[in-house]
Amino acid sequence: MTRASIPSRRRLLALVPAAALALTLTACGSDAAPVVSADPSAALDTETTLTFWTWAPNIEKTVALFEKKYPKVKVNVVNAGQSAAEYTKLQTAVKAGSGGPDVAQVEYFALPELALSKRLVNLKEYGAAALEPKFTASAWSQVAVADGVYAVPQDTGPMAMFYNKKILDELKIEPPKTWAEFETAAVKIKESDPKRFITSIDPGDAGGVDSLIWQAGGRPFQQKDASSVSVNLQDPGAKKAADMWTSLINRKLVDTAPGWTNEWWQSMGSGQYAMWIIGAWAPGNIGSTIPETAKDWRAAPIPQWNAGDTVSSENGGSAVAVPTSSKNKAAAAAFAIWLNSDPEAVRSLSANGLFPATTELLKDPAFLDQPVAGLGGQKANQVFADSSAGVGKGWQYLPYQLYANSVFKDTVGPNISTDINTGLTAWQKRITDYGNQQGFKVTAP
Amino acid sequence: MSTTHPPAQSTPARPTSRSRPVPRSGRIGHGSFGYVFFAPFLVVFVIGIAAPLGYAAYLSFFQDRLVGGNVFVGFDNYTRALGDELFRAGLWRVTLFLLVQVPVMLALALLAALAIDSGRLRWPALFRIGIFVPYAVPAVVASLMWGYLYGDRFGLIRQIGDALHVDVPRLLSESWMLASIGNVVTWEFVGYNMLILYAALRTVPQELYEAAEVDGAGELRKAWSIKLPALRPALALATVFSIIGTFQLFNEPNVMQSLAPDVISTSYTPNMYAFNLAFNGQQFNYSAAVAVVLGGVTAVVAYAVQARSMRKEQSL
Amino acid sequence: MGLMLLYALLPLVWLLLSSTKDSNSLSTSFGLWFGHGFHLFDNVWNVLTYDDGIYLRWFANTLLYAVVGAGGAAFISTAAGYALAKYRFRGRNVLAAVVLGAIAIPGTALAVPTYLLFSKIGVIDTPWAVLLPSLVSPFGVYLMRVYAIGAVPDSMLEAARIDGSGEIRTFFTISLRLLAPGFVTVLLFSLVATWNNYFLPLIVLSDPQWFPLTVGLNQWNALATGAAGSGATTTGFYPLVVTGSVLAIIPLVVAFLFLQRFWQSGLAAGSVKE
Repeated sequence: MTRASIPSRRRLLALVPAAALALTLTACGSDAAPVVSADPSAALDTETTLTFWTWAPNIEKTVALFEKKYPKVKVNVVNAGQSAAEYTKLQTAVKAGSGGPDVAQVEYFALPELALSKRLVNLKEYGAAALEPKFTASAWSQVAVADGVYAVPQDTGPMAMFYNKKILDELKIEPPKTWAEFETAAVKIKESDPKRFITSIDPGDAGGVDSLIWQAGGRPFQQKDASSVSVNLQDPGAKKAADMWTSLINRKLVDTAPGWTNEWWQSMGSGQYAMWIIGAWAPGNIGSTIPETAKDWRAAPIPQWNAGDTVSSENGGSAVAVPTSSKNKAAAAAFAIWLNSDPEAVRSLSANGLFPATTELLKDPAFLDQPVAGLGGQKANQVFADSSAGVGKGWQYLPYQLYANSVFKDTVGPNISTDINTGLTAWQKRITDYGNQQGFKVTAP
Repeated sequence: MSTTHPPAQSTPARPTSRSRPVPRSGRIGHGSFGYVFFAPFLVVFVIGIAAPLGYAAYLSFFQDRLVGGNVFVGFDNYTRALGDELFRAGLWRVTLFLLVQVPVMLALALLAALAIDSGRLRWPALFRIGIFVPYAVPAVVASLMWGYLYGDRFGLIRQIGDALHVDVPRLLSESWMLASIGNVVTWEFVGYNMLILYAALRTVPQELYEAAEVDGAGELRKAWSIKLPALRPALALATVFSIIGTFQLFNEPNVMQSLAPDVISTSYTPNMYAFNLAFNGQQFNYSAAVAVVLGGVTAVVAYAVQARSMRKEQSL
Repeated sequence: MGLMLLYALLPLVWLLLSSTKDSNSLSTSFGLWFGHGFHLFDNVWNVLTYDDGIYLRWFANTLLYAVVGAGGAAFISTAAGYALAKYRFRGRNVLAAVVLGAIAIPGTALAVPTYLLFSKIGVIDTPWAVLLPSLVSPFGVYLMRVYAIGAVPDSMLEAARIDGSGEIRTFFTISLRLLAPGFVTVLLFSLVATWNNYFLPLIVLSDPQWFPLTVGLNQWNALATGAAGSGATTTGFYPLVVTGSVLAIIPLVVAFLFLQRFWQSGLAAGSVKE
């Protein structure tokens, strides 16, 4: 891929000449066809209605900006369910050839699966390749699947450590910089009150554990070619992370309550949990769910395995894709591109709670110095931006990660309070069996 | 038509309990109108049941792989289903549920129906309606609500236990989950079953009781020798429906999954397994085979119970 | 018995009381008493206005599915049960057996193939996808068959024929009236079934504009529990779920209270042996 100078949206659209007439709809988004086959700017000048499946909060506000700018295009925002619920409907709609949206929100972990099963349009055909320099390397690497570009990054979730400053101050604990310090802090917190935990691990959330493994240097999922993958959930990084958390959990320093339930939030709000290791999108949730104590929370870099390092990972985050069943692919692609790369749009997304995926905004002093409301006004974006820059490279998801994540709670879940490694091994077995059934060649060390 | 039933509506229930159904006289020539009246049902039956069932059977003979595409595999999916430990574990779980929850629920329903019918209760209508009301609560709402009540730290049951200094077990933990779900199902359906049984009791002819009283039978004796036999068909019906419902168990565990993801797996019940196979694993074909096997098992068990109760009926 | 009544009603009392609480006191105050402040009206207002009043839309959808689905099911079942009970035609016994067998088919096991089939014929994500399957009620047919055998005397049908009344006219003018209690019973049970329907709409609908209340409420709950994953906001969804649930229950309870005369006698018919 050639690294061109940063193209403005206008120039980007100019890249797409009237060659549009030549070929409009290539059947099912044939891969590796870097030929620009449709003219987005023309598409936006025709009366069109686009259906956009998304569950991003307040996205309507950014969509409204788009509609104001391109009054001929009407965008119908539909919440068709979150995450797996949406992808299932999306997959079947595309399979059936009707009933699907023109544009859809897709989390990074699900992208390879949807792209490789030809559910998504290769946006290279609509000039998306030129967008690469606009986005962070880690975000871009997630949408660039098998020589194509299957979505435009929308938001990211570089990992951070959120902590309850009141509790740490009270116990005279400095925010831990390494996992060793984290452990010491965990002991102190437990000693102060047996009902307290330094944090909690969600037995139902594959993404959370993935992020911890990622940060510890594990790369358990690798796609080798179209039909072979390798899975190793006991590689050194995975094992290192699992060992540490297992030890903390066995000593009752870390809780294993299911996340996001009313009870869990109550534990967050009432000071039973002192920390939360999660993606940079969290402040909005903290601010809105536990408004009374949100002012006590602060962000700090995720603890390191080696003192002085700045290694991080991603948690969550979504991109916007165009399903192959769309009847308005050109307009849909143009909308997806505008929504996530136009400076005005990107600012609006950020203002509405999405952590940016574009380098420009991540370097913008106005953004970095902005007090974050959910965290007592801390200028936390600096912390998150640094984390974003430190995301470990080479992480991949499986071409059937949706299934893999869905059985996390069946395998790791029941083992989380005894030995996470046992759980990871069971998870690996389920993933391997499924892959073989689906015709993949699954290799494990 | 005489009416012994309290509401002043014509009550055809009594005649059916005595006269042999399906009299066979004089309908020759009009018979074809039977088709006319049956036709609308036939249409929706084909769309809603027959076609999906046929389609499921068809699908179950194929396998659509992410790599390699769609191939005919014969009975492979069925052999796989029969040997599938997750499927078996789910079946075993609902069987356990069936063996414990259904008898408990029906016993409670029977007790309530007998109590209301005994005429010894003040405000029987209050009890009848009150116990029935949960049936009108959608399963989703009921499960959400009980999920809150079960909460480990702030749930109502925990609050009451703390107030009374009773140690409440963790109701959402692995060892208690099935019982907790059983409680939700019992709560939802005990009133419904009570009403079916109660309605059957109302069809017992008053003369039978009078005769029994002449013989000096007390309430208990009357319940044992008149009411219970009269209830047998209704009880069989309620049992069959409970069996079908149990094998289909989905809503309650599915809603409560977010509260205990480490306990309620994707294959917790066979129906959840079929759903997750199709919707999280894209294994539509295998899912169809599992659904067909599940339907078969349900039908066999339901028929067995029904046949057994009918045989008893005839031997009486 | 008192205990059983308590068991049945206490959770509902909790639900009612909880609908008067705000997000915070929902889990901090004692479940069986009021929390800080009385927020019922705020909660109701929030439920009705959230997302441009999507709740009312769900309510209307549910009403549509329940009225058309349950009404249609009751009518179709009545006609079919009447046919099986009162007419001798070839294949009648086979059809009766099929109906009985169909009761034992787990409806939810059909959901996945129904979904695939419907997506092939293009009714997925339309009200039809919910309505069509809910029109089938084998149990309703079974119940109406048993009921019609007793409720509609053959002598009366004969008399009508001698008077020259056509079969269809007889059905609508005479038989239907005699079948009313059974009809109402089937109607009510189909009403509950459609009102509570969750699994099928969950699968066949994508657009929240067509959701029934059950699916909508569970979506709110998913937002509250963050099953959404990253990025979803959870602003005070718990009171929405609780209050929305209360509002969803009321119509059914009212329907059962007002129609109890009918369904109790209808039930009696279904509960005796075939």
